[in-house]
Amino acid sequence: MGLLPFRREGPLAKPSASISSAPTGRRSSLKNRSVLFGLMAALFLFATGCYKDGMSTWEAFGPVAQKQLDLFNVILWVMVAVFFLVEGVLLYAIIRYRKRPGQPRPEQIHGNTQLEIVLTIIPTILVMVLGIWSVFALFEIDKPPSDGPTPLQVNVTGHQWWFEFEYPDAGNGKKIITANEMRIPVDRPIQLSLFSDDVIHSFWVPKLAGKLDMVPTHNNKMWFQADSDKIDEDLPVTLFGQCAELCGIAHALMRFRVIVMEQADFDSWVAGYGPPPTITDKAKKGAQVFAANCTLCHTIDGPDDPALSASRLAGFLTGGDITPVPAPNLTDLRTRQTLAAGLMELSETTLSAWLHDPAEIKPGNYMSEKAVLYQGSSVSLDEEEIDALIGYLLDLR
Amino acid sequence: MATITGVIPRPTSYAGVWGWMTTVDHKRIAVLYGATAFVFLLIAGLEAGVLRMQLASADNDLIGPGRFNQMFTMHATVMIFMVIMPLSVSFFNFVIPLAIGARDVAFPRLNALSYWIFLFGALLMHMSFVVNEVPDAGWFSYANLTEKPFSINRGLDFWAIGLLVMGAASVAGALNFVVTIINMRAPGMTMMRMPVFVWMTLITSILLVLAFPVITVGLIELTMDRNFGTHFFIPSEGGDPILWQHLFWVFGHPEVYILILPAMGIVSEVLPTFSRKPLFGYPFIVFSGIVIGIMGWAVWSHHMFTVGLGPVANSVFTITTMLIAVPTGVKILNWIGTMWRGSIEFTTSMMFALGFVALFIVGGLSGVSHAISPSDFQQQDTYYIVAHIHYVLFGGSIMGAFAGIYYWYPKLTGRMLNETLGKLNFWLMFIGMNLTFFPMHFLGMNGMPRRIYTYTAEFGWENMNRLASLGYVVLFVAFVIFIVNLWQTRTSRRVSHDPWDAPGLEWSIASPPPAYNFAEIPTVEGLDQYWIAKQRAEAAGTPITEPEALVDPDTIHMPSPSYWPIFTAVGVALIGGGLLSHYAISFLGGAITMMGVIGWGNEPAAAPSDHH
Repeated sequence: MGLLPFRREGPLAKPSASISSAPTGRRSSLKNRSVLFGLMAALFLFATGCYKDGMSTWEAFGPVAQKQLDLFNVILWVMVAVFFLVEGVLLYAIIRYRKRPGQPRPEQIHGNTQLEIVLTIIPTILVMVLGIWSVFALFEIDKPPSDGPTPLQVNVTGHQWWFEFEYPDAGNGKKIITANEMRIPVDRPIQLSLFSDDVIHSFWVPKLAGKLDMVPTHNNKMWFQADSDKIDEDLPVTLFGQCAELCGIAHALMRFRVIVMEQADFDSWVAGYGPPPTITDKAKKGAQVFAANCTLCHTIDGPDDPALSASRLAGFLTGGDITPVPAPNLTDLRTRQTLAAGLMELSETTLSAWLHDPAEIKPGNYMSEKAVLYQGSSVSLDEEEIDALIGYLLDLR
Repeated sequence: MATITGVIPRPTSYAGVWGWMTTVDHKRIAVLYGATAFVFLLIAGLEAGVLRMQLASADNDLIGPGRFNQMFTMHATVMIFMVIMPLSVSFFNFVIPLAIGARDVAFPRLNALSYWIFLFGALLMHMSFVVNEVPDAGWFSYANLTEKPFSINRGLDFWAIGLLVMGAASVAGALNFVVTIINMRAPGMTMMRMPVFVWMTLITSILLVLAFPVITVGLIELTMDRNFGTHFFIPSEGGDPILWQHLFWVFGHPEVYILILPAMGIVSEVLPTFSRKPLFGYPFIVFSGIVIGIMGWAVWSHHMFTVGLGPVANSVFTITTMLIAVPTGVKILNWIGTMWRGSIEFTTSMMFALGFVALFIVGGLSGVSHAISPSDFQQQDTYYIVAHIHYVLFGGSIMGAFAGIYYWYPKLTGRMLNETLGKLNFWLMFIGMNLTFFPMHFLGMNGMPRRIYTYTAEFGWENMNRLASLGYVVLFVAFVIFIVNLWQTRTSRRVSHDPWDAPGLEWSIASPPPAYNFAEIPTVEGLDQYWIAKQRAEAAGTPITEPEALVDPDTIHMPSPSYWPIFTAVGVALIGGGLLSHYAISFLGGAITMMGVIGWGNEPAAAPSDHH
């Protein structure tokens, strides 16, 4: 299973109708060629500027993001209209009333109260309509529809600099804790509880919903859903997410993925969730290396024990030099697509590079800062041990 | 102590470095503020250059994340607190006494104190570069990233204490202008005859006096948390990081208007002058300014739409934010109304003012789009916001300030800035500004978060980032040309006292103005007094061609220079500096401050050389 970024052929694969329906130069009444040229340049910029793939908000895969995009599309055209109207009047005034030689002092007008009142009332009505409409939308997207399918509960915790996903009941009562890749069934509302146990982060999957901050001691709630009829790709589809609130040195590298799957595929992923097998000798040795060096912070045999998590967090918050810290659960590492919070494709090579020198890949990460293994000039594991560890973690046979 | 310090005479020399250090002349203090702000503008501009170089290509590793966070933190902090605010204060200082027909501000020594505290506070924060512990949590410095163990070095202490020191300067300066404007207007200048720039200064100063105490509370709590074991913002100890956000933005949103209202005031002076027509709808412009000043206190949580305050709170701030667009729109319509049927002269100053209006419309419109809170959930903390703030603060505040510089420079120095270089300066700045910041709208909508030091090529952000970095180069050239233009005025032609045929009182006196400003305090009969006087004289067949005649300065009592403002400011800065190094220094600073205050209070009213 490789990296499967959701991507279209190019940025202009599906130009929006709004762009192609823009007025053409010939029919417009604008005589000034430079203005026309400017307009064309603006449209060109607009057309090439709007991507739909990756993190773009120009495309929505679910009802929440769709509502938000619909609102933006309306305000966008209101903005464009007001922009051309007001800048047009401004430009007209600048050209029409430029000083001409020998011109006498113009008539000294101090104002026009009626005009002022009219021009105050019109924008007031406009912004109130927009405002009230926004309020209705706010409440509309606040909670999943009560008549739909039962939402799947996922608790998301932000850590410096990775995401933890806990499914209290992923199916048949099975609890799952994983990291940096969130698997969700399509066409089912996902109810998210957002936490943080260090600083403020922000949870953002542009294709599914706008962002919501993850604030320590505050339990923020949001929901989203991926609709199969909005995704014209074969499932599973991988969507991008990224932390959107400055959270320290590796903020830019705090990314994650959301993998949208058919319910059946999701169920089989849930059923397969468990520690890597130790059938081969290599895996057995890897398991020993893991047990001896990694278990202060990482759990690999199912969901983390809450008491252990709490003690790791307490160690972290005291700020000691060498201390256990909260770290990604590695139980299902072998089924993941990416490494180091969505930074790179997961493979033998990348995992080896990561284990040799994590600070090179992700400056400031707490594994290189706090783990005994990384306090020397190089990692205190030999090549054979690292090889065994990789074999165990990725279940290579 | 009092008897000892009381006998120290006031300084008598007005010349040289010493003369500048002890000056209480509002015009000289304006130059100090302006020059200091310009130096910091170059520093913060270079910091922006580092950011743009790093972001010019995907997966760039020119500078690491640590340095990048420091650069954007200092870029914004410096631009806001050490560039735009002091530039505005520079205009307040130079223009206000002249525009209201006064000989100085109400408290000349307090005015000097404000400047020196500001300077030392700014230098204090920049000492963080010397010890290489630079603030790195953003200009908003959200708790609890600012708390231990997440920010271990003293960077955030430099930030908090530097701002505390500069805050004292801002409040003192603002109080001074409130008192000056209310008490020292020339006879006949009623409130509704004040030039709009004076109005905007008054509103800005009131906002400053009310807003800075809020951030001061926050900064003191942050300093206490970091140094004395309190837990205001530490969640694991029962504190609340959201409290910081409320304190910060209750200050931070009025601060936005503190940054933009002076520029609106400048533009409201420049547009009528070069349209040769009075300001259209003066009372509407004044009252919309007042409404902005009041409503600015009721919109702060639109900076916090994604914090999770819930749909009820978000609804309230959606509506209030929508409404504040109305008084802003009123101003734009009135500026266009001013030009309507006018006779527009395209001086450099006018072009910057027109640039302000054109760009502020863009910033205002994107501002309305943020107010749509559900869609703002997507745009919050992306480059879309970066685009917006730069259209408002660069397109608005900086363009407005440049309109003011080109407008009042002949009054300040008696010499002209070159108009050809000026127009080149304008066009490069206008084009560079749009090239840098317009693509950021797209970057934001394409999902690029703010404050990331690197990004991968697969998201398609590289081209727009290249464009933005290219725009920076154009802006850089624009500023070089401005410096050349300033430099060439050493030998440029001298101008008359009233090169623009302007309406304000300041144009009735010589350029540069004498130390006493007005030999005889003018009497004001209406708005645009100097136009009234000139048109009456023209109708009578005796047009005014000369400024008010100069008189022997000894016949006019002016405040003497003083040692005590700079002395006291050193003490205040040392109090802050001691908190960052050794507490003993704070006590020394406290002692110096006390001595300064006592010496200040016992200073003779005038220098011995004065004949009064």
